[in-house]
Amino acid sequence: MSPVGSSVRAAQGARAGEAVDGRGPAPKSPRGRGGRLAERLAPYVLVAPAVLIIVVLRLWPLGLGVNFSFTGDCEHNGTPVGLDNYAELIDDPLFRTALRNVGLLVLLLPVAVAIPGLLATFIHLRVPGHPFFRSVYFFPAVLSPVIVGAIFNLLLAFDGPLNAVLGRSGAGPVDWLGDPDVAIFAVVGVHIWATSGMALVVFLAGFATLDPALLDAARVDGASLARMIWHVIIPGLSRTIQFVVVTTMIGMLTSMFGLLYVMTSGGPEGSTYLPEYYIWVQQGQMSRPALASAASTVLFLVMLVVGLLQVGLLRRAGRED
Amino acid sequence: MKQRTLWSATVVAGLVVLAGCGSASDPDSASGGSRGKLVVWDWKSGDATASSYVRKAKADFAERHPGVTVEFVAQPFDQYYTLLGAAIQAGKGPDVMLFNGGGQIRDRADSLLPLDEYVRADRKRLAGWEAFTKDGKTYAAPVTLQGHPIYYNKSLYRKAGLDPERPATSWDEFVADCRTITKATGARCFAQGNKEGIGIQFFLSGLGSGVLSPTEYDDWIAGRRDWSSPAVKRVFSLWKEADDKGLNNDGANSTAMFNDAFAVFQSGKAAHVIGLMSDTGHWKDFGEFLDAGDVGVMKAPVVTAGARPSLPYDGGIGYAVAKWTKDPKAAADLVRSLTSTDALKSFYADAGAVAADRTVDVSSGGPAVATIVSEIDRGKPALHVALSSRTVDLMGRLSQQLLSGSVTVDAAVRQLAASDQAG
Repeated sequence: MSPVGSSVRAAQGARAGEAVDGRGPAPKSPRGRGGRLAERLAPYVLVAPAVLIIVVLRLWPLGLGVNFSFTGDCEHNGTPVGLDNYAELIDDPLFRTALRNVGLLVLLLPVAVAIPGLLATFIHLRVPGHPFFRSVYFFPAVLSPVIVGAIFNLLLAFDGPLNAVLGRSGAGPVDWLGDPDVAIFAVVGVHIWATSGMALVVFLAGFATLDPALLDAARVDGASLARMIWHVIIPGLSRTIQFVVVTTMIGMLTSMFGLLYVMTSGGPEGSTYLPEYYIWVQQGQMSRPALASAASTVLFLVMLVVGLLQVGLLRRAGRED
Repeated sequence: MKQRTLWSATVVAGLVVLAGCGSASDPDSASGGSRGKLVVWDWKSGDATASSYVRKAKADFAERHPGVTVEFVAQPFDQYYTLLGAAIQAGKGPDVMLFNGGGQIRDRADSLLPLDEYVRADRKRLAGWEAFTKDGKTYAAPVTLQGHPIYYNKSLYRKAGLDPERPATSWDEFVADCRTITKATGARCFAQGNKEGIGIQFFLSGLGSGVLSPTEYDDWIAGRRDWSSPAVKRVFSLWKEADDKGLNNDGANSTAMFNDAFAVFQSGKAAHVIGLMSDTGHWKDFGEFLDAGDVGVMKAPVVTAGARPSLPYDGGIGYAVAKWTKDPKAAADLVRSLTSTDALKSFYADAGAVAADRTVDVSSGGPAVATIVSEIDRGKPALHVALSSRTVDLMGRLSQQLLSGSVTVDAAVRQLAASDQAG
């Protein structure tokens, strides 16, 4: 038997062993065994920091907060009160207004998406001066909500410039921030103005993927602008539109606090309350941290439902492609 | 993707919960003074105008407790009670802290140390204790006085041919004077800002002593509030009437009291404003825009016969001691140093506040502040300060509804009574 033959047999034996136990070559040294253990543990070790951060800084406090919402405030501090805080929330017309306003935001979402979509369409269709408009529309996106709020406080004041223009054109003045039926729309309008620049950029990026041949073909066939938007642009941009819907919704539900704080302080008559603002007032101003925790838990559940709906929407969009 | 969205929802809610239950409770430098060190929280000590006040108070304290260091932590005011709430929830935090008088301190009295035995010697010298008192126990010593004098613009009175030294003493005269002023100068009667619902607080306290009888007034302060009495209803109907008659500037519900309403007064577009005594919206601010000699202070005009108008004021801000402090005696002594005459003199001179100390001389501050200080001895606590912060918040919203006509005076008063009785 030649040395070569024995080595071949040895190799065959090794392969046979591999086939039998299915675990690859038998470990030959302690170092190899440790290496395999490390290999098996590596993924856990690598995700550990992220998991720890999420568990310790997010989930654990979330659990504490939910737990805290079942305790009382003031003289009942620390004692369990069951669902009393939630019952109080449901009874509180202010909190109901806040939740109703969340519903209103959802209803206004199509407007908030359509405005940047239309503006992006005009820019894409190269209206005269389109490079100028592109930067102008984006400009408010770099301003902080507090600055935007302060600017519009001046513009929308009862004796402010907007009412002066209205007065000159014959229409009576509107108390933009003092009329409970108007104020929430004024604030949402300002929010859309301030944030639509970002959505506009996303839309423009979406247009870059749109096949220009389709638009040209529509033009050759004599399609009007409205038909072009309805039959070519909207179907072609469906994924972009869905993305903008999701991000705009999140923006509306989570980042209106600054504007509310500066522009209306939740008023007039509590008509512009949103859950975040309610939570802040109860905890900071009314010294009711447990009630605020209950409101936070309700907001969390609302966000969870909205989030899951959006996941469904995005997943469906993914399947269509 | 599903996972990611779930996480982001969790993160958002987690952050909100964090803010809600105030887990931001452990700012290192600020939490828990050890023995030999006292930590003070306030929103004043960072101001340049308060630096000499803090220096003098520290020096005074160092003489009595040479071994104890004092650290001032200036918090931003708009987050102050949120941070403080977190500290209280955690049961550790500053040893000494600044409070606004009224609801803000009474709501948190459970976490504070009664100071009665420590401040006995200061009782006479300082004014404004009631705002820091709950159930007969005192929880803070007053630094400034806060109140709601009615300021008026003497130059507008002169332009309208009225005697600026003799403002109206009854409501009917007052309204007639306002008509004359508006006709002659175009200025409205009141600069009114109710965007935050603050306008009604100033209105209730500023004019209340001219509506409620002295007994009713004292009962209100003592907690025996009869919301269905004609006089109480009259305050709220007066509030609506003033707006309906065009006495206020336009858009009161969308004008911020701080500082748009004050700006209306300062720019001569309104003849009167119910302002403050200390800090802002007061004689010092107005004196900088209008001539200091043109800023007058008048008593509330009498609306119902038998009412005796008085200056409504309370302790404005004051220092309290936390229950969890390790050395209550030293902390209480620090409060006494923070309210010493010498320190308060600086506070008055630099920050433009009416100090709680009756012995501080204010003759250099102009006629308005001199009038205010001369009324302190006859003054009474302000009506709105006696209410809980929850009722005050509700009153703010109802006052906006009253102006817009979406609630009646009777319904508003009923809701306020229910909130007041619930505590």
